[in-house]
Amino acid sequence: MPLKKVIETKKISRVFKNGDIEVYALTDIDLVIEEGEFVAIMGASGSGKSTFLNILGCLDQPTSGDYYLDAVHVNKLSKNQLADIRNQKIGFIFQSYNLLSRTTALENVELPLVYDRTGRFSNSKELAIKALGEVGLEDRIYHKTNELSGGQQQRVAIARALVNEPALILSDEATGNLDSKTSIEVADLFVRLNNEGKTILMITHEPEIAQFAKRMIYMRDGRILTDEIIKDRSTKESALKDLELTAEPIE
Amino acid sequence: MKQTLKILKVAFQAINKNRTRSILTMLGIIIGVAAVIMTISAGEGATMQVQNQISGLGTNLLMIQTKSEHKAGINVRMGKPIYKKDFEILQKNAIYMPNLSPLLAIGAQAIGPDGYKSTMVYGVSYDYFYITSREIQFGSFFSDEDVKTAKKFCVIGQTIRKELFPGQDPIGKQIRIDKVPFTVVGLLKEEGSGGMGQDMDDIVLAPYTTIQNRIFGNRKRGYNMILASALSEDHIVDAKIEATELLRESHKIKANDEDDFEIMTQIELQEITSNITGVLTLLLGAVASISLIVGGIGIMNIMLVSVTERTREIGTRLAIGARESDILTQFLIEAVALSLAGGVIGVALGVIGNQIIYKVTNFYIPTAAYSILIGFGFATLIGIVFGYFPARKAAKLNPIDALRYE
Repeated sequence: MPLKKVIETKKISRVFKNGDIEVYALTDIDLVIEEGEFVAIMGASGSGKSTFLNILGCLDQPTSGDYYLDAVHVNKLSKNQLADIRNQKIGFIFQSYNLLSRTTALENVELPLVYDRTGRFSNSKELAIKALGEVGLEDRIYHKTNELSGGQQQRVAIARALVNEPALILSDEATGNLDSKTSIEVADLFVRLNNEGKTILMITHEPEIAQFAKRMIYMRDGRILTDEIIKDRSTKESALKDLELTAEPIE
Repeated sequence: MKQTLKILKVAFQAINKNRTRSILTMLGIIIGVAAVIMTISAGEGATMQVQNQISGLGTNLLMIQTKSEHKAGINVRMGKPIYKKDFEILQKNAIYMPNLSPLLAIGAQAIGPDGYKSTMVYGVSYDYFYITSREIQFGSFFSDEDVKTAKKFCVIGQTIRKELFPGQDPIGKQIRIDKVPFTVVGLLKEEGSGGMGQDMDDIVLAPYTTIQNRIFGNRKRGYNMILASALSEDHIVDAKIEATELLRESHKIKANDEDDFEIMTQIELQEITSNITGVLTLLLGAVASISLIVGGIGIMNIMLVSVTERTREIGTRLAIGARESDILTQFLIEAVALSLAGGVIGVALGVIGNQIIYKVTNFYIPTAAYSILIGFGFATLIGIVFGYFPARKAAKLNPIDALRYE
């Protein structure tokens, strides 16, 4: 039985018009990501990876081409339908966590369920507690966001991305604001979630974090430059060891 | 429904998070609502006092006087004066008006043994006391007989007693009005100030015959008015029609000509004064409403700041799956909740303020129920009107830009 395609893009382009000038942020991108994959997208600033993520996250629409998310043809959906798709099928993780300030971890994680219109979640509190357990924050449930460290805040954000049982988890520079050790822990958390069957797509510009993924896509000038399977994936142990080596003071 | 409850909770969390700012924002609405309630209630209180005063004149009162017109602020008589002849015709023929009294008013100095006072002297008949239901504290009224024989008797009010007979019993003593000596036979009960602020106790009553003969002398002069009381409240209209017919006959007015006199009933008087005070109340309320609108602008201002400050939060909510309408509702509820909470506090403050005014000035202000409704309704309306623009601005944010907003 073939694996379910979570993402399928066909010749996706995104053109920004600035007066008379047309700028191609993305050009004819074909990409398929199947269920259970863990993909890292890398590329320099201006390579189009953020634009691509916005389209994949249904925050933006392609200028041309077709995008299927979990077998839903996204292109022609209305604003409200897009909001509902984001709510049902996507879990977002942002670089600066984007948690509600002075609000408990629990309330933050419950947030996507506030906007659920399908009624598929009967007890949002239980689900939020479960999601916080999955990221190892079961003893921080009633802590307010400003009482948590950066790593803990990002884990609350990850729990928030998990709570609605999305088809796809999208991470935009999730480790960008964290120190190296905490970054490795977050990356390791991604690996564990992926091992449990979650499909994860992350944008990063840190090669050592990308090395945790199963597949790496490298973008340049709005096109996919390379797309390959990572052979020697990092683990928490190997990454921490590398970290110790590089941290040696130079004599 | 469940969705609305969830959004409601979100809105209240936001208000609670910025408590100081929320209270400051509410202050405009609080003051506005309290001002509206207090001014409307004060207007209502004044109206009530005037109405009571008028009712105090006697519920079945009719006032018959020569038609006058306001010209450049002066009352100019337009018709024939009302003379003794007219009064006698009414007295002889009226069925619906058992009590009738002429009223001759003259401003004069009342001089006593220990003081004097400028006052109003009214020449009336014995019926006057029935018509106006004024009561005697000491002594007695002058009698019908005293009026017929034009006795130089008078009844005085409390203010006159205080000025002319400080600390003394005035009964049996003499006062002089326009050089004519009058014997004080009665002292009126205190009535307090009238609806328009005049002192109802600054008054001297004497038989109209005496005033006519002794003070006006040979000068031919009409009555200022004829006071009458109708048989009962149900007969006020009948009494008015009767008086009109009799007077038209007496003044020989042709069928198609207008009356040259006016008859005002007590109900009409109440209507006129309630119109005047109503306009006053409306005006005061309108001035107070302006402060509510200023409060509303305050809310709009703070909500706009709040939207800008929370741009990233809005972006996050949109990314997570909030629809535009969810964001709109959230911010609208926040604005309405702020103004409503302000409304509640304002109502409480207004009611307490009315009580304080009562305690301090003794001017009773009943808090008008409808003023609470107006204050409340206005607060809600302002929340919606001034909250809509910032809420719409929030809802229309582009999630991608909002997420990146620093």
